[in-house]
Amino acid sequence: MSEPGTRRVVVTGLGAVSSAGIGAAEFTAAIRAGAPTTSEISSFDTTGFPHVHAGEVKDFEPREWLRRIDPGQWGRSSQFAASAARLAVADAGLAEEDLAAARAGSVMGTTSGESAVIEELVAEWAADSLKSMTPGRVAAAPAGRIAVAVNHELGLTGEALTLATACSASNYALGYAYDMVAGGDADYMLAGGADSLNRWAHAGFFRLGALAEEVCRPFDVDRSGILTAEGGVALLLEPYERAVARGARMYAEVLGYSVNCDAEHMVHPDPTSIAACIRDAHRNAGVTPEQIDYICAHGTGTRTNDATEVAAAREVFGDRIPPISSIKSIIGHTMGAASGFGALICCQALYEGFLPPTANVEQVDPALGAGVDPVPGSARPARPQVVENHGFAFGGNNAITILGRVS
Amino acid sequence: MSSATAMVAAEEVASGHAPGRTAALAVTAVGVATPAGLDPVELARAVLAGRQGSADTEGLGDEALPPRGARVVPELQNAFAEHIGRKGNRHLDRTTRLGLLACQFALEGHTGPVGPRTGVVLGTSTGSIRSSSEYSMETLRQDRPYLVNPSLFPNTVMNCAAGQIAIRHGLKGVNATLAGGHLAGVQALRYARNALRQGHADRLLVGGVEEYCAQSAWGWHRSGALGIDAPVGEGAAFLMIEPAAAVHAAGRRGLARILACETAFAGGRGLGDALAAVIGAALVRSGKDPAEVQAVSLGSTGQRGLELVEQRAVRAALGGRLPQRVIRVKDTVGECFSSGGALQIAALLGAWQDQGAAAAGETAVVTAVSQEGQVGCVVLDTNELGTGELGAGGLGAGGLGD
Repeated sequence: MSEPGTRRVVVTGLGAVSSAGIGAAEFTAAIRAGAPTTSEISSFDTTGFPHVHAGEVKDFEPREWLRRIDPGQWGRSSQFAASAARLAVADAGLAEEDLAAARAGSVMGTTSGESAVIEELVAEWAADSLKSMTPGRVAAAPAGRIAVAVNHELGLTGEALTLATACSASNYALGYAYDMVAGGDADYMLAGGADSLNRWAHAGFFRLGALAEEVCRPFDVDRSGILTAEGGVALLLEPYERAVARGARMYAEVLGYSVNCDAEHMVHPDPTSIAACIRDAHRNAGVTPEQIDYICAHGTGTRTNDATEVAAAREVFGDRIPPISSIKSIIGHTMGAASGFGALICCQALYEGFLPPTANVEQVDPALGAGVDPVPGSARPARPQVVENHGFAFGGNNAITILGRVS
Repeated sequence: MSSATAMVAAEEVASGHAPGRTAALAVTAVGVATPAGLDPVELARAVLAGRQGSADTEGLGDEALPPRGARVVPELQNAFAEHIGRKGNRHLDRTTRLGLLACQFALEGHTGPVGPRTGVVLGTSTGSIRSSSEYSMETLRQDRPYLVNPSLFPNTVMNCAAGQIAIRHGLKGVNATLAGGHLAGVQALRYARNALRQGHADRLLVGGVEEYCAQSAWGWHRSGALGIDAPVGEGAAFLMIEPAAAVHAAGRRGLARILACETAFAGGRGLGDALAAVIGAALVRSGKDPAEVQAVSLGSTGQRGLELVEQRAVRAALGGRLPQRVIRVKDTVGECFSSGGALQIAALLGAWQDQGAAAAGETAVVTAVSQEGQVGCVVLDTNELGTGELGAGGLGAGGLGD
């Protein structure tokens, strides 16, 4: 029996449903190319919105990916999560029955849960009254359905936990899954996140003055904000020994993580707390700042985020800030899935040997100070050994994961 | 069946297929905001007497409510003004207000330090469904869809209440919101156990919040999930959770120990079998024999199809009987979805507190089951914490064992 934290934990499967493609290979190719995959929104009526671009998952046909759950009974976020989880298991070369027979569970992060379902219910309310809400839609509305969908789809009998810590939720999920596997509570965990595009968030971000018109340019002097986005992502975690025994491909090792809270303001991030979170993550992972070769930034594309994130990094790394890039420049802000997509690309960066780029950067904002390398353009060949994945959120929920090349 | 279940659980432990016992957690304070009052003893007395909580739905908005019983925290605005204050709180929704109030009471009853290494683990189902639904409705009703109120935007995000609780009390430790629905109570404790074990905080306010609103009341009514007489309710409950060893080392005392918080997913098995198995596994993990369990706090009261499944599973796991003390909170507080689990525990703690020394040494299971296949069980007892006698803590003077 293992004591807490005594087992090494590796990532052996990756799954993605995103505007940059379905499946880890398509997703990674798109990120490496550095060409934005955002587009005009078609999933809700954008009439009257001045800004109508987002990272929408086009042409997602859930029946192509899901075998057990009936998509008609599940919301879009659950469909994304379950599809991404199934893709991750296939990618890991793990037989479905072997996974189902093991002590396996899922932990998924989200910001707005089944927001698309809630908006359908609101449409019924608007058209008539609350009395006219469709029972099946009501049943699909709770956010906890996201992890439940993963367990149902894969026949898992372990925990099904949905974490709702907004835009850092996937990193919370990855950290928790890591602890469960390391501590011997589970032998496989699917960790990730999912969110769906919705009008209310699009409106809210626009009113906060945080929504870009068409292009997301983190770290650029001409940045203008975020693009909302959607998708689902899942990573399969298992003990190193088990992965070796079954001859699995190991993308990366989860070295550690940290979570903390600003406790200052609901929507303005705090660099001091973020710096503390970075330091705690390093301590938890047993690494020093000098060992970090790359930071996958929260990088939303707002001036506030850039300034805060770089200031926090400077507090920890001094003048030697590792290359720091934002894949939100390519896929937009996938909310609760965002740090999961970040973790996925970190795994690929470690396994294939590259640094993910920031798209759309023409001139790095001099106000960020010297030494900020956002890896502009397309992916850069490199051999990172240890990387850091950032996730920050409304409510001051910071979560940082540390991943390493498997040695 | 129960011995078979226990045997399976024991085999799982022996074969390394279930984790062993971990350090106990201490509950050192509890705070509630419920339709039956703002004190866990009041809640417990109402629950044990079968007394209904307040059904006054005045001031909850203009939408017509369904023809179904309601349980609502009475005079919430006044209680909030009195205990929290009005200043700077204009935009807070009902979910956040309930959460702030219950946490305030838990902190008032907490005798140890608080400080920045304190955190929050909050169970929800959708956050404030009223806030997100109304925000979405504004995008349809305004002249332009973006003419929503930016200061209300954070209310639409599920981690709003936990963030506000952290801000009010300067709690910089782990701050987690989990969307657990009926499993939220067990899941929140499980998340907390891990976070404390990993050192992400020294102590955690762990609980759940659910508000009564037209949206959720109609949702329950339309869903068909509740029995015809089952009221929809609301409430919040938070426990201060600390490692029992740390509480003892500081010479402080707790209200109860939490020995296990286990969850599983039915998958292909029947829900009842899965629940019985998880109760068995939780008892093994707690080092308790099924015969030692004297109380159960049930989760699915009022839910069609689940109520009997849960009771059968409890009987199966406990040797064919229900314990002498059976707590059903929902007649009093209504269907509280994600805060139900925390309220089940709060009522149990209130009952123990009310009984004083007579409850010393009692062991209880708190069960949870969801229509969708999730099952869970928490095991608590009132045994001494370390060598210190279990005694007064957050519930006021005259604690258990005194």
